Amino acid sequence: MTSKILHLIGGNADIGTSKTFWIGFVIAVILFALYPTQVSEFRASNASYYLLNIPLALGMALLWGYCGVLSFGHVAYFGIAGYTYGIIAGNMAGNSLGSIAGVLGGLLASAVVAGIFAYFVFYSRVREWIIPILTLVLTLLLETFLGQTAGYQWRVGSVLLGGYNGMTGIPSFQIGSFVFMGNSFYYFCMVIVLACYVGLRMLLNSKFGQVVTAIREDPLRTEVFGYDIRARQWLVFVLSALLAAISGLLYVQWGNYITPSQVGLLSAALPVIWAAVGGRTSLLAVLIATIVLNWVTFTLSSQGNQYAMVIIGTALVITMVFFPRGIVIMIAEWIGKLTNRKNTTVIR
Amino acid sequence: MASEYALETRNVNKRFGGVVAANNIDLKIEPGELRCIIGPNGAGKSTLFSLLCGIQRADSGEIYIGGHNVTHMQPYKRVRHGIGLTFQTNRAYQELSVKHNLMVPNPSLAVSKEAHQQGQERLMLALEEFGLDLNDDTLASEIPHHTLQWLEISMVLAGFPDLVLIDEPTAGMSREETDRTVTVLKKLNDSGLTIIVVEHDMHFVKSIAKKVTVLHQGRIFIEGNLDEVVTNEEVKKIYLGHAH
Repeated sequence: MTSKILHLIGGNADIGTSKTFWIGFVIAVILFALYPTQVSEFRASNASYYLLNIPLALGMALLWGYCGVLSFGHVAYFGIAGYTYGIIAGNMAGNSLGSIAGVLGGLLASAVVAGIFAYFVFYSRVREWIIPILTLVLTLLLETFLGQTAGYQWRVGSVLLGGYNGMTGIPSFQIGSFVFMGNSFYYFCMVIVLACYVGLRMLLNSKFGQVVTAIREDPLRTEVFGYDIRARQWLVFVLSALLAAISGLLYVQWGNYITPSQVGLLSAALPVIWAAVGGRTSLLAVLIATIVLNWVTFTLSSQGNQYAMVIIGTALVITMVFFPRGIVIMIAEWIGKLTNRKNTTVIR
Repeated sequence: MASEYALETRNVNKRFGGVVAANNIDLKIEPGELRCIIGPNGAGKSTLFSLLCGIQRADSGEIYIGGHNVTHMQPYKRVRHGIGLTFQTNRAYQELSVKHNLMVPNPSLAVSKEAHQQGQERLMLALEEFGLDLNDDTLASEIPHHTLQWLEISMVLAGFPDLVLIDEPTAGMSREETDRTVTVLKKLNDSGLTIIVVEHDMHFVKSIAKKVTVLHQGRIFIEGNLDEVVTNEEVKKIYLGHAH
């Protein structure tokens, strides 16, 4: 049993299969765990922001990189979860179960919307190049709707949706009387990111994951091996929407607010850029790119620099021209060649 | 009415605009048979395979696989009735390893323990004869063309089918490679596997087929033993482009 789990975690669905890699991985996790002890709580809180975006980015890698379906609107599920959490937890403020109910409600709302949307997309066999447009339309519709919810009439219970100013005063996550803030929220994010990464590695190394990758390579060939590819694409879409929802939940618990711009065009483009720059066919590459790119944008923006998005855009262009498979993947392959490992080139 | 054949089509028709790709096709394949389907370009051979697998739907007519009426089934459901297909253009997963390619087909679709065992034996036989390794981490795009053709045949066998449709398996192969393909397909057929092959290469057809179906302009032109068919003057004309 244990060896089967280790095999699933360590399989070559992602870069990094050697013993050296796993030693490095453990060291990296320890360093991340030590980070809050070496810096101020403010900095640790900023670092939480880089981490909380990772589930959304991993969902993008799963859906686009491994299953071959590009969604340009996964932030819709980020937003739906965030707003739903705000409504439920806000209305249950003072109740220690409020935030747990909010989390469950947020996940459920995102899964239901994603499930219905994906059903129509995959079961009517919409052509793959139309899917990014449909997903983008959904998130822009959501942004437009939320943008006009200013005014007292747009309230659910005691919580105001807030129009373009967004929803404020969203409660932080709490279990019992313990509220996750500052360093504790950083560790909370870290555990969730680790669980998402390891869980996805296991999923992608399983038979299910192998078939998902085969669907990306050739959907018709895979269907003629006896698989209902629509069902698998649907499931992957909903799973990736749930990952986006996790990020949305963490975001509102971190900042205690959410605005419609979180489901707008710029926000919609970011996860696609993180995945493309890192290398969408590797979970780890996307994870690393998400941390680095978020650090760059967050640091520049917080210093009042207006060029954060220009730099991110430039990174995307450079990637597309010089490293079409992703910068982190190229570096990993280069290291693989140096250490004469064959497995790193298996990933595409 | 059910069918006792491994594969049966009844009055299958398919049109693409003004082109008749399948014209009242009545095909009956006995269990354990090895049938070659030949015909000039555009005769409707590959379309017929697409119709059998459900990639394209027939305008009218009925299709039975292993006695089951599959006419209105999606491709993945037809496969669950024991049919396997290799495409005319090789469709092994180029960017995945040989190992990954061979793991994708779902052997659990074979119902009985006996069928599972038999499917496993056929797969092992093909892998050994073709010199393929179940644990090979080489990318499919890095192996030679003929091995890629063999890989796709092996992939289909990894789904443990009762009936395989093989579309031009020896395209681009040398004489030795073609002969090796013939040997393996014959051995598989000897083990009871029903095989239908579309092929242009007459050397291949002559070395493998007992019974041949000639398609021309979407309909079955003639069907019979190899000798009867290849000596038929009308068939010769078709191949030279003179028949109507």
